[in-house]
Amino acid sequence: MSAKPDDRGSWMGTRLPRKEDLRLITGQGKYVADIVLPGMLHAVFVRSDYAHARLVNVDVSAALEAPGVVAVITGEEMKSHCRSLRQPVLLPNLPAKYPTYYGLAVDKVKFHGDPVAMVIARDKYQAVDAAELVVVDYEELPVVLDPEAALDADAPRVHDEEADNLMFEMTFTGGGTDEERAKNEAEVEKIFQSADVVVKGRFRVHRTGTTPMETRGVLAEWSASDGLTVYNTTQRPHIDRLAFADILDIPAEKARVIAPRDMGGGFGLKAPFYRESVVVAYACRKLGRPVRWIESRYESLMNIGQERGQINTLEVAASKDGKLLALRNRGIADVGTGQIGVYWGFVMPFLGAVEMPNAYTWEAGDTNLKVIFTNKACLTPSRAFGHFPTRFAMERAVDMVARKIGMEPSDLRRRNLVPRLPYTSVTGEYYDSGDFLKVWDNLMVQVDLPAFRKEQAEARAQGRYLGIGFGCGVELSGVASELMVPMENQPGYGAATVRIDPRGKVFIMGGDAPGGQGHETTISQIVAATFGISPEDTIITTGDTGTTPFGSGTIGARMGSYFASAVRKACDELREKITHVLAHDLGIRATMEEFAFTEGEVVYQRDPSKRKGFREIAERIVMFPINLPEGEVGGLETTAFFEAAKPMICFNADACVVEVELATGQFKVLRWQTSEDVGNVINPMIVDGQMQGAIIQGLSNAIFEEFIYNDQGQQMTADFEHYKLATAADVPDVKVTYASTPCPHTPLGTRGIGEGRPSAVPGALCNALVDALAPFDIDITELPIRPSVLWQKLKAAGAV
Amino acid sequence: MELKDQIRINAPRERVFAALNDPAILKQAIPGCESLEATSPTDFTAVVAARIGPLAARFTGSVSLADIEAPVRYTLSGEGKGGPAGFAKVKASVELEEDGAATLLGYSVKADIGGKLGQLGGSIVDRTAQKLAGEFFQQFDALIAAPAEATDDAGDSKPVVMAQPPARGVGPVWWGVAAMIALLLAWMALK
Repeated sequence: MSAKPDDRGSWMGTRLPRKEDLRLITGQGKYVADIVLPGMLHAVFVRSDYAHARLVNVDVSAALEAPGVVAVITGEEMKSHCRSLRQPVLLPNLPAKYPTYYGLAVDKVKFHGDPVAMVIARDKYQAVDAAELVVVDYEELPVVLDPEAALDADAPRVHDEEADNLMFEMTFTGGGTDEERAKNEAEVEKIFQSADVVVKGRFRVHRTGTTPMETRGVLAEWSASDGLTVYNTTQRPHIDRLAFADILDIPAEKARVIAPRDMGGGFGLKAPFYRESVVVAYACRKLGRPVRWIESRYESLMNIGQERGQINTLEVAASKDGKLLALRNRGIADVGTGQIGVYWGFVMPFLGAVEMPNAYTWEAGDTNLKVIFTNKACLTPSRAFGHFPTRFAMERAVDMVARKIGMEPSDLRRRNLVPRLPYTSVTGEYYDSGDFLKVWDNLMVQVDLPAFRKEQAEARAQGRYLGIGFGCGVELSGVASELMVPMENQPGYGAATVRIDPRGKVFIMGGDAPGGQGHETTISQIVAATFGISPEDTIITTGDTGTTPFGSGTIGARMGSYFASAVRKACDELREKITHVLAHDLGIRATMEEFAFTEGEVVYQRDPSKRKGFREIAERIVMFPINLPEGEVGGLETTAFFEAAKPMICFNADACVVEVELATGQFKVLRWQTSEDVGNVINPMIVDGQMQGAIIQGLSNAIFEEFIYNDQGQQMTADFEHYKLATAADVPDVKVTYASTPCPHTPLGTRGIGEGRPSAVPGALCNALVDALAPFDIDITELPIRPSVLWQKLKAAGAV
Repeated sequence: MELKDQIRINAPRERVFAALNDPAILKQAIPGCESLEATSPTDFTAVVAARIGPLAARFTGSVSLADIEAPVRYTLSGEGKGGPAGFAKVKASVELEEDGAATLLGYSVKADIGGKLGQLGGSIVDRTAQKLAGEFFQQFDALIAAPAEATDDAGDSKPVVMAQPPARGVGPVWWGVAAMIALLLAWMALK
């Protein structure tokens, strides 16, 4: 490795090239589709062509006759042989309508792409051919697609057993009772009545999300003695294991889930528990042979990765000197069918509503969210979980206030940033630590606003339209149990097992399941720094429920906060034991702090001649556990858990500069500058990459990507020709800078980063566009924002 | 999706009308038509094999007729299913107008397309639609224009048959099936 530890001999904060990259870029990665088991069969799903239809008959006879076909499974069979996916382990502790559904559709199909049958054959080609022979007799039903119209009394119902399409409703402000909420509403109304300035917008964000390079894949194997083993592209194997056991009705100890070490991205969409996995697992048990399903890109775009999809009608009251006073929001989320385990489509907008107040101080707030069933694919989590739309609304509204009172948007933001932490937002979100003003001021140093305004004026004189836009975001740094238990019915703590072998190599086992974020490298740096060894002397295992401690998954920026902290805690426990034994062997009385772990040795700092190689002391404790200090036993392995008492956050601020071509509405992002509080940084290269990737994803979501359903509920964007992603030519070079405050609640001062990061992007981008076109007084309240839309606005404003 | 056009056929209106009810002619004119079959006096099915872009499929189309006013106009509604390729639902009206010795065949179609076909979109499907519609009418024109001289008598007799189509049998309906299928293929294309 080319990188070196820093001057103090520590690997923390080093731009260490990623350990995993050599195998990934030389084609040696082992993804789920690379795993081959003897006798493995191949599965293909038959999916609904209709958005809403009664299943009159599913005729599988011709498919069963086709060459190579071993079985065809239908919804009726799933219903009679497995439990529904509405299992307690998959249900949030929040009051919502949770539809009962099975691995395959029963009675009705509820969205275009709903799985109706699964064909299993000896090879994939046979399965694909046979799937075309499954004859499904549909009786079409009226579709409900517009979430607002879906609340009409006579609207078709997505789920027959539910009284209406309102899946979930919550008011996040005011208190627990109707009376308290009414009182709060009245108080907020009073503020609005007397405020100098009120802005209001109906902020609509389309369906968009994430499209990992690797689609989903499941390979399930059944053995009479060991039960079920599932190789699953999942971010949370331990939850999946319990779900498989409950749904298939097998003892939990007979279920094992392995998330392959290499996964080609997750971004949240591999976090839910999916119905397809159940059918594959059921089939392997039924047939006694391994069954594999690898999702096609078409299926993937039809079924998952669809998030955002909200309309937020947001009002903000402010004083004429730029003090934000109150916010009032009525949110509507178009959840689709609500049929995915763990999240049920509504947990994202739920959290999005919680996160709406962002980093600003508010006197009061009144927010309500309605989540509504429609005949579309269920929303699935995507990085910037739920709050891409609410943050877009808030960052736009803040700029609208600034424009109305003639203040620089950056000044208005700074004036209203929460000045001191901890702080609890009007929606009850706890901000534990950090320094928002420091981050903001660092951004303004990068930007040099006066210089830009001069540049902008000069450009305008030449007929060129430049604009600057700002945005910021408080993001979750992992999710503490306090929020995780109600929200997702699972713990928030991080867990790690650390084992030192007799040769002085360190094995780390984690129950989370990374998908390319560089955990192997980051964890190796923590371990190397803690034990004074090389990162190469560490081996990390993740994702296997058979060998790792329970973990809630690689979700919500848990790595830098929870997993990293658990690893450090476990390492510290072993350091304690090592130094205890070493002091005993050296015949001295010394505490752990008196020893340094450095350059492969453990050194007594008061007398550096008293030292021992890390490998030697490891071998002594593991292999030769005689003459140990009293009460000590051999072996060097421990599992540690880390839990923060309260949720933790990270914070970022963005500025971007755009240029708009008036005649066409074409625009280009010229610069993107950030300022980040990510706590102590373990590997700046990886953190830079997270931020750059997140901002580019945000731009791609805001400008290019859009899942489109036509008026019949047909999903029209099931390939990359129609679901357009930004390319390298479309995005700017992102300049990431840091103004960090170490997190006081984690052993290394680190924060979890990257998950929520795209959310500041659409606001900053649109604010820049509006600023560029300030002479024409246009506004942007809807995404995606495209040149054609901008041109229409310019035309309406008489600019072209 | 909506599709409207008017095509000039080199034959008198009643002849066109008659031909539109001749299963043999329609079967030859519809590209890829494998069968035309009546399931009741007003319900009909046809099977057509077609290739649109990367999708090769056999479409089963069914159609019902209404508002028949021979030899001038009809409306029809139908559905075509292409199995894994998708489906189309169609409502169409057809009107024949005399234009000297020739006939102007006007049609107007509303269609909803679903499944993979609907998703294909864009230029592939567009081109296929135009090609198929073009092929149909070219072939149709050729088939009925060629024996024009010899069938003057037949031309006289057929309008009688057509005057009361529901009572007299399936005549007009064939035309409907033909139009349905040809147009179905066309608008599949137009998403």
